[in-house]
Amino acid sequence: MPPGRHALPREFIAQHQRARIIAALAEETVDKGYRAVTVADIVRRAGIARNTFYENFSSKEDCFLAASEFAVKEALRRVVDAASKVDSWPARVNAGLAAFLHYVASEPALARTCIVEALSAGPAAVDRYERSIQAFVPLFRMGRKVSAKGEELPGTLEETIVGGIFWILYQRIIMGQAEQIEELLSELVEFALTPYLGAESAKRIAAEESATPTAG
Amino acid sequence: MLDLETRERAASPERERIVEALIEIAAERGYAETTIELITERAGIDRDAFARHFRGKYDCFLSAWQEMNEQCMTEMLSAFNSEQSWPDRLRAVACEIVERLRNDPSRAHFAVEVLAAGDAARARRDMTMRVIASLIDAGRNEMDDPEAVPHLTAEALAGSAYGQVYAKVVRGRSDELPELVPQLMSAAVMPYLGIDAGLAELARGFEPKARYGREVAKKSSRKAGEPKVAAEDYPPELARLPPGRHGLPREFVVHNQRERLIAGLAEAIAENGYAGTTIAHITRHAAVSRRTFYEHFSSKDECFVAAYDTVMEQLQERVSAGFESAEDWPHSVRAGIAAMLEFLAAEPHLARLCMVEALVAGPVVVERYDAAIQSFVPYFQSGREGRPPEVLARLSPTTEEALVGGMVSLISRRIIAGKAEQLEELLPDLVEFTLTPYLGSEAAAKIAAEKR
Repeated sequence: MPPGRHALPREFIAQHQRARIIAALAEETVDKGYRAVTVADIVRRAGIARNTFYENFSSKEDCFLAASEFAVKEALRRVVDAASKVDSWPARVNAGLAAFLHYVASEPALARTCIVEALSAGPAAVDRYERSIQAFVPLFRMGRKVSAKGEELPGTLEETIVGGIFWILYQRIIMGQAEQIEELLSELVEFALTPYLGAESAKRIAAEESATPTAG
Repeated sequence: MLDLETRERAASPERERIVEALIEIAAERGYAETTIELITERAGIDRDAFARHFRGKYDCFLSAWQEMNEQCMTEMLSAFNSEQSWPDRLRAVACEIVERLRNDPSRAHFAVEVLAAGDAARARRDMTMRVIASLIDAGRNEMDDPEAVPHLTAEALAGSAYGQVYAKVVRGRSDELPELVPQLMSAAVMPYLGIDAGLAELARGFEPKARYGREVAKKSSRKAGEPKVAAEDYPPELARLPPGRHGLPREFVVHNQRERLIAGLAEAIAENGYAGTTIAHITRHAAVSRRTFYEHFSSKDECFVAAYDTVMEQLQERVSAGFESAEDWPHSVRAGIAAMLEFLAAEPHLARLCMVEALVAGPVVVERYDAAIQSFVPYFQSGREGRPPEVLARLSPTTEEALVGGMVSLISRRIIAGKAEQLEELLPDLVEFTLTPYLGSEAAAKIAAEKR
């Protein structure tokens, strides 16, 4: 048989296995916290052989980083997708954040693993945390163009906004309120718009945007 | 609450040496590789000495972390109070934190490593974070319309600042922390005072106070005997958090969900009365989810009973300790009553819960209420010993119950009038009232009038 014929299914299976392992890590992390989770726990939860785990990941940390990368990629894809469907910058922030919150609410285990554990899982996780933040920075940085003071704003403003949003989600998740995360949308939009547009305009626009149904 | 007390009693140079050794080793090797052997070796003590102060490695980490958080609180508040205007106050706090992290890298690394101890360590950190958020949120008072900024703003700003500082510390780049201060200050001021005021912060730079530098140089933690921050030292915006008897905000002291729920119930009841309190009120005050509530209690009544038991247990411990601290019976009574009033005055919500609401909460706690009243009777009964026959003849079998009942009713009336904080003023009256049947009014009045 030509080797090509098997290539696709094998890759498909591999992808599927990786996703299953990542999901198992996330579920175990929710149960006992990242530090306490062992590879044996993950293997049992995923219903795979230990060898299969090590074919995909070199260690638990490796798996954690992959989970985080996967989640950030997926979240970013959804955010960009939603934001590109609207025109104005505030509308993009609103649509992007709506998509992000929806994703977090629909994947509480993964969100907990990536957001909650990021600030307690050691140096490699910190790199990942910062990269996650950086991934969302451009969406907000566009606001400088519409702000009267765009060029004077503090250089780390966008990191502060994204980090603030992450922190709020983190707090809600550990309090067991992941399901209500989408209710935070208009407040978070207002929070994000304020440094660019001032508190009053931000409030007004956030209220207008939340009244407009967004795609997705 | 109790473990704080135990810890203070155990405060000693030996204990401080252990904590210093722990912090150094944890900073060097991380949580997992920190062992009791390494700590005792570095501290130059044996394992028995370690066991006198801590139950184990986890306890040692969490105790040191709790102290570090308390100390950090004290210093932040003193920095905040050292300035007049809100942005200046906030900047003083930011500079204080950064100075401390820069000058004490071991403690900074410990603050990262301790998070490996799990949820309890994270919860303590998050309490401090909530206090920092409340200092930021004080910016609201500077606005024409204090509601113009979303409520999660301060929490988001505090958490974001934490993430940025944390990343620098983890990477060993604490020397870059001062550059963060104007950036973070700018972002924090903007929502409250406007974009221009925020931009002005960028020009301010990092302004550590010489005074803070000196304090950092001392490095050692607050000694047990030194006075803590008094409630009145708190900025007004923190004063709405009911201070516990430690003078620290509730957020800071109450560190597990069950305790939080109990405190949340007490607050909700203080606001709405028992009948008007819903589970939603309790979970909102406790800042936990409904699900968490039901993980701990099956109903409001059950939560109330747990709260009542907890409060009464503490109250009884205080009274008993007070009673035993004095030489003779009349002074024991005085000390016991003083301890009771002190506790109730420091915890007005709990006072209301156990002295007022217990009577309206219905059958669930009435039995307990009666039992609690009865538990105070023996203190007075012991006053019969050695009294002359003519005095004993005056006392009826129910004198003691009447005394406790009268005392409780006086106290309840004050609490209902919203004067729980001034309960300690009742001390002379209550002492005189309760001692008179045994000693006669003159002697009773004399003891009542004594200074503490």
